[in-house]
Amino acid sequence: MTRVMVVDDHPMWREGVARDLGDRGYDVVATAGDAAAAARIAATMQPDVVVMDLQLGSSSGVDATREVVARSPRTRVLVLSASAEQPDVLDAVKAGASGYLVKSASLDELDDAVRRTADGDAVFSAGLAGLLLGEYRRLRDAPEPDAPVLSDRETEVLRLVARGLSARQIATRLTLSHRTVENHVQNTLRKLQLHNRVELTRYAVEQGLTADEPAE
Amino acid sequence: MTGTRSPAETDAMLPLWRAIVVFRGGAMLVAIGAFWLDREVYPSFAAAVGLLAAMAVWTVISSIVYLRPGGQNARAAVIDLAATLALLSATVLVQPWPALQTTAPILASVWVAGPVLALAAALGRDGGLAGALAVGGALIALRQRIGDQELFNLTLLVISGVTFGYVATRIRATAQQLHVALAAEMAAVERERLARTIHDGVLQVLAAVQRRGPALGPDGAELAALAADQEIALRVLMSRQPPAGEGRSDLTSALRPAATARIEVVAPVDPVWLPSPVVDELVAVVREALTNVERHAGPGARAWVVVEDLGTSISLSVRDNGAGIEAGRLDRAVADGRLGVAASIRGRVHDLGGRVALTTAAGDGTEWEITMPKEPPAGHGAALALRRSR
Repeated sequence: MTRVMVVDDHPMWREGVARDLGDRGYDVVATAGDAAAAARIAATMQPDVVVMDLQLGSSSGVDATREVVARSPRTRVLVLSASAEQPDVLDAVKAGASGYLVKSASLDELDDAVRRTADGDAVFSAGLAGLLLGEYRRLRDAPEPDAPVLSDRETEVLRLVARGLSARQIATRLTLSHRTVENHVQNTLRKLQLHNRVELTRYAVEQGLTADEPAE
Repeated sequence: MTGTRSPAETDAMLPLWRAIVVFRGGAMLVAIGAFWLDREVYPSFAAAVGLLAAMAVWTVISSIVYLRPGGQNARAAVIDLAATLALLSATVLVQPWPALQTTAPILASVWVAGPVLALAAALGRDGGLAGALAVGGALIALRQRIGDQELFNLTLLVISGVTFGYVATRIRATAQQLHVALAAEMAAVERERLARTIHDGVLQVLAAVQRRGPALGPDGAELAALAADQEIALRVLMSRQPPAGEGRSDLTSALRPAATARIEVVAPVDPVWLPSPVVDELVAVVREALTNVERHAGPGARAWVVVEDLGTSISLSVRDNGAGIEAGRLDRAVADGRLGVAASIRGRVHDLGGRVALTTAAGDGTEWEITMPKEPPAGHGAALALRRSR
């Protein structure tokens, strides 16, 4: 049975999602209302999937995502958030979330998204594809060393996802297998996450070196 | 307070008007002192005192007017100038002509600079210059000669009028900028506060209605759909718009209001800047395409509006997953009116210097793909201007 944790600062919504997922046969092992509790409880409970809101009152779901992914590498984070928080969605995905679903999605869509996240698939919306395309183009134009690049095929797939096509429709259109399309989509996400981890490490090292220099 | 001036601006200008009043009073005392030292020069002591008394009365009247918010304007300054020039020309009544044309003192002396400063405060640099030329000209007319002393007086009047006017303009502009900045800041703070409240309450309930509604039957499903549209409308309202500037607008924020539960607007995080008229025209094109989707794509069809920034150009796609059109029947579809907007959309985009591609297949929806250079090529501006003036 898939073990799920629900993180949202709003009790009504949190309990609603937890109950719905319980009805669909998931084992909801914990809930949390802020980033610190989310990271702590996830480290103890080691759920398979964390369903994460991004606005957690005074704390941020992006930080919570980064913490959860760092402390519980086996746990996958599915962002369940709202369309207007787009920069946050991109940040959460770069911090390691493996999927994104809008809060207004139906229960069937949520059920499907949690199952696919648990299976290791990337849950993509058209909106997230648009954000990723924008981010890769920004990285290409920015003079950043080792910035990840999309292959032509990956760009093509991402552009079709942004236009609302399902993986199956894309597979038909490009005469690829469904699995290949899924892999392409996942790769676009992984490259960005890897780049983000490398950047964070580099930043930490630079900060560390600066701090070690003797103060005049 | 006049209708066009903000309270902040009036407050900022107040010290300047106070300075004019203080100058006026001081100059009046100087005129009295100078008269006392030269009292033997005047043929009629009583006439000179009478003129001084008239000047003193006008000093009090103009000071009262300038200290009231409604009196700090060009009209009051012009009346002041007229009265001052009248009092200046009355000098001929207390000093004989021959004396005035040599070195005899003019009673009004530096007092006449008052309206020059008032005009400068009310109308800026040009007002100060005009006032200085009027007063300087009157002084020259009174002496009926242009000597070193006259030129020196004129120069002093022009310098003080222009300088004072420039300072007044700067103060006014700064006060205006401050006012605008404060208003924007307050609006942002208020928007943030509202957004927090709406997020914590209304949006959660709307999302819950969308989730639970469909389980309650057709009525519930209808409620859920209504809640979905309102949720999206609220979110668009709350989202912060990048400030437009220099005739450019962000295509993404212009398109966001088109989003509904069935229409998703997909775009990068960073704003996509285009000339504002182009953005207006593209929004109109997207609305046309979406209206067509609503009419012909069939019930339950969804649509995606995709904005992509390609560097020197942009791509804008409107795709639906509706009925679509069978291969080879596109011409007939156009004739049937199922693509009645096709000609209109093509025309609009071509006028902007862009390209349109239409792809469709039975059961696979319809997609408009627009590619548009960020800078419209030469010659397309005129077509755009013509279209907008219709």
